[in-house]
Amino acid sequence: MKRRKFFTSLGSDKPSNVLREPVQGVPHPASPGTLVFPNARLRTHENKEVRFYDDLIKGKQVLINLMYASCEGACPIVTSNLVRVHEKLKERMGKDLFMYSITVKPEDDDPAALKSFAEMHRAVLPGWTFLTGDPYDIETIRYRLFNMNHIAIDTDIYSHTSFLAIINDATNRSLHVDPQASLATVLWKISLANPPKSREEVLADNKKQQERIDKERKVYGYRYTF
Amino acid sequence: MSKPHGKKKEETKSKGRQLTRRTVLKLGAAAGAGTLLAPTILTSRKSTVYAWDAVTEPTLCGAVANPSPPHTPFLDSLPVPSVAAPQFLSPTPTETANTGGGEAFRDPHQRWAEFTPAVTYQLEAKAGTHRFHSDYLDSYIWGFNGQYPGPTVLNAYGIPSLVRFKNSLPTSTSSFGTNKTTVHLHNGHTASESDGFAGDFFDTGLFKDNHYANAYAGIDDFGGFPKGDPREAQYTYWYHDHLMAETANNNYLGMNGAYLSYDQKSPPWEFSTPGSLRLPAYYGVTDFPLVLGQKRFCPTNPTTGRTELFQVVGNAAPSTDKWTVNGKIQPKLGVRRRKYRFRIINTGVVLPFTLSLHGPDGAQKTMTVIAADGNLLRTPADCSATSGFPLLEVHVASRIDVVVDFSQFAIGDSVYLKENVQTAQFVNTTPPPDPAPGLPIGRVVMRFDVIGNATIPDTPPIPSTLTELPPIPPPAVGVDPFEWGFQLRGGQADGNNFRISHSSTAENNTNHTNSFFKPTELPTGTGGPFDPGRVDHAVLKGSTEEWIIRNDTITGNWLHPVHIHLEEGRIIERSICTVPSGTGCLPANRTILSQPPWEDGNNSRRDVYPIPGQHRLRIRLAFRDFVGRYLIHCHNMNHEDAFMMTRWDVVEDMAQLRKRRLEINADRVARGDTPLYTKEDLGE
Repeated sequence: MKRRKFFTSLGSDKPSNVLREPVQGVPHPASPGTLVFPNARLRTHENKEVRFYDDLIKGKQVLINLMYASCEGACPIVTSNLVRVHEKLKERMGKDLFMYSITVKPEDDDPAALKSFAEMHRAVLPGWTFLTGDPYDIETIRYRLFNMNHIAIDTDIYSHTSFLAIINDATNRSLHVDPQASLATVLWKISLANPPKSREEVLADNKKQQERIDKERKVYGYRYTF
Repeated sequence: MSKPHGKKKEETKSKGRQLTRRTVLKLGAAAGAGTLLAPTILTSRKSTVYAWDAVTEPTLCGAVANPSPPHTPFLDSLPVPSVAAPQFLSPTPTETANTGGGEAFRDPHQRWAEFTPAVTYQLEAKAGTHRFHSDYLDSYIWGFNGQYPGPTVLNAYGIPSLVRFKNSLPTSTSSFGTNKTTVHLHNGHTASESDGFAGDFFDTGLFKDNHYANAYAGIDDFGGFPKGDPREAQYTYWYHDHLMAETANNNYLGMNGAYLSYDQKSPPWEFSTPGSLRLPAYYGVTDFPLVLGQKRFCPTNPTTGRTELFQVVGNAAPSTDKWTVNGKIQPKLGVRRRKYRFRIINTGVVLPFTLSLHGPDGAQKTMTVIAADGNLLRTPADCSATSGFPLLEVHVASRIDVVVDFSQFAIGDSVYLKENVQTAQFVNTTPPPDPAPGLPIGRVVMRFDVIGNATIPDTPPIPSTLTELPPIPPPAVGVDPFEWGFQLRGGQADGNNFRISHSSTAENNTNHTNSFFKPTELPTGTGGPFDPGRVDHAVLKGSTEEWIIRNDTITGNWLHPVHIHLEEGRIIERSICTVPSGTGCLPANRTILSQPPWEDGNNSRRDVYPIPGQHRLRIRLAFRDFVGRYLIHCHNMNHEDAFMMTRWDVVEDMAQLRKRRLEINADRVARGDTPLYTKEDLGE
């Protein structure tokens, strides 16, 4: 080994952990799998049967929210915000990012009802699936994915609207965001579950951000936007 | 970056998903059995790394929060966090961000030429292991320089410093942390770009230089050396991760440490020097930071050799059942018969500590409070059974400095620090015997053992006046206070309601509807979830304002420890609303409450303001010396992560202020709310 290389390697090249880099499509070594994500049989708005973990989550990055077709409170706002999210991320949708909307009123919402809800909200989009299933299974999913350790929230099925679950089984990330937050905040939260960026990408992004705030400073005096 | 790991990656992949201890050993051809501990160099064709940097990721113990494993009380001695060593940095720190050299993007340092750093440090955020108790095995942590608590940074007023925070957190983790960071010095008088604004996080692999002027607030108004108003001195700070939405988890994993400042009044020595108060002052000898934490542990796993911190990926920080002091559970500290200074820092992440001191027979003893949130009290105050203030509440992120005089005890006596409110330790496990009647062992935070007479001469009695409080002039006539209200929106995490409104001149708030009482409605006009790009309030540099912070939830609901960045404030009035109603709190329904001397604005200054349900605080603040983005938030870290946080800006001049305020008014109107600023506020 060259002397120079030896010294550089002491500085910057050391790994900070011994886990392999995540590979999209392959569950993370620490993924809880079906221990957390029930492998329940669900039915899509296209009336196709799917397994919740095996078909929808395993090795994938996904966004999950709860809704029901007759909801008139926050659901329409949330759904239209999710349409905006989809628009921003459409390059990835259906390829390495998927969206699932699960009904909390499976008794009322059959696949046809979900399909018409999706059509009404212009949410029949690639990579976005609406799901119904056995009420017991759906309640289990709601508890496992949307548990906030907050009794007022956890016991109320109508409290679902403020959460979008962001899960990446390949990077072992699982997060929540309020879909009513600003689009920038929601997109940032989603990006926390993204596969890690390479060193080159990190540096390029950093440079781009610096150029942006240098421009902002001329107008506002300091970094102003997010 | 990926290339040097080429070989390692291939090998890891070929071993399948689970990386076992054995695989780790096999990775380094030259490594022996002690790989994980010994500084052996692992050599592969393409890279050379130290094995001790390879921290095995934790194997978590499921989602059910079982009791932590039992521990033997007072087995470990209280550790003294190591002191950060000043070091030269490469590349050399620069005024503008050195993005080419790997620095994260930021604004140029303000007042760089005026406060050129004389001393520089590097603190590297990375994974490590830490043993929280000798009965336990190692736990996986994230800490500065890989240790918990992080190194203590010692500073002197007048000597500007710079801390390079390097992000070397793992790119892939099985812990529940998020590998981006932004570090806040709580509560430094710090320029915005170095203040750890929650939206200023940066990726692993980058570093960021935080520039600390170490000058007193009031730089513009006071000359002298050190610059600024000496009455603004703060002595006990702590630095911690402030990543938006993920602060609790990263801090629970260990990303914090103490930062102490010294000056003439409180120098790092005890002998007589001009202006010195002669308080106990030798770090780690007669002056200790007590970094309090709350943790829960998984059962010890002999296969992995770990006692992991209990955590569930995707969840907030869990409810806890063990207390740690400087990283150890129920430690003991040998003390001598003289005075000691303890700087109690509650790093949370969720609950306040409510402390009292007890002698060998269980009777309460006196702790003399000398400073609150780093600020000296005007008059020191006792926390004792007879002082009227028997309990010392230390809210998350608060710092309370106390002096304890151990000369009142005999050699061989033991003295106990007791936590009075949180669920006791050893819940659901068999507790060891109680140390004294009326003092359950589960309530003891730590023990002091009086081991002998003083070897360093005791300090003189604590002076009856420690400091004068810098005056904060009232705001201009006609300028009404701004109000920040916490409300509870039905079915939402507490955090989704943190709003600002303008108090009307009559202060009767009748135009402010309170959504707590209409839980099914959407929050028209609330600030909404935290958005680092949205400004909720703009203030003028050099101005003073009165802010009202009120918690409209009912008594018995969560207490919110509200923290305001940049400036220390004075609590002018604390009142409770006797008749909570949907229309706010009319003056006739308010009862003014008396406060402990360490909260009362006539005796102390704070940066964390505890606000229980129905309480209403009127505080006065001055905004000085720096411009940019700052935060007000609840410091229950699970709450701030649920976005109980909002941004306010300090701007340079009246023209900027007017522009920003008009924009805020327009934004609010667009959201269907009333404008915030009146003509007077716009300088019209």
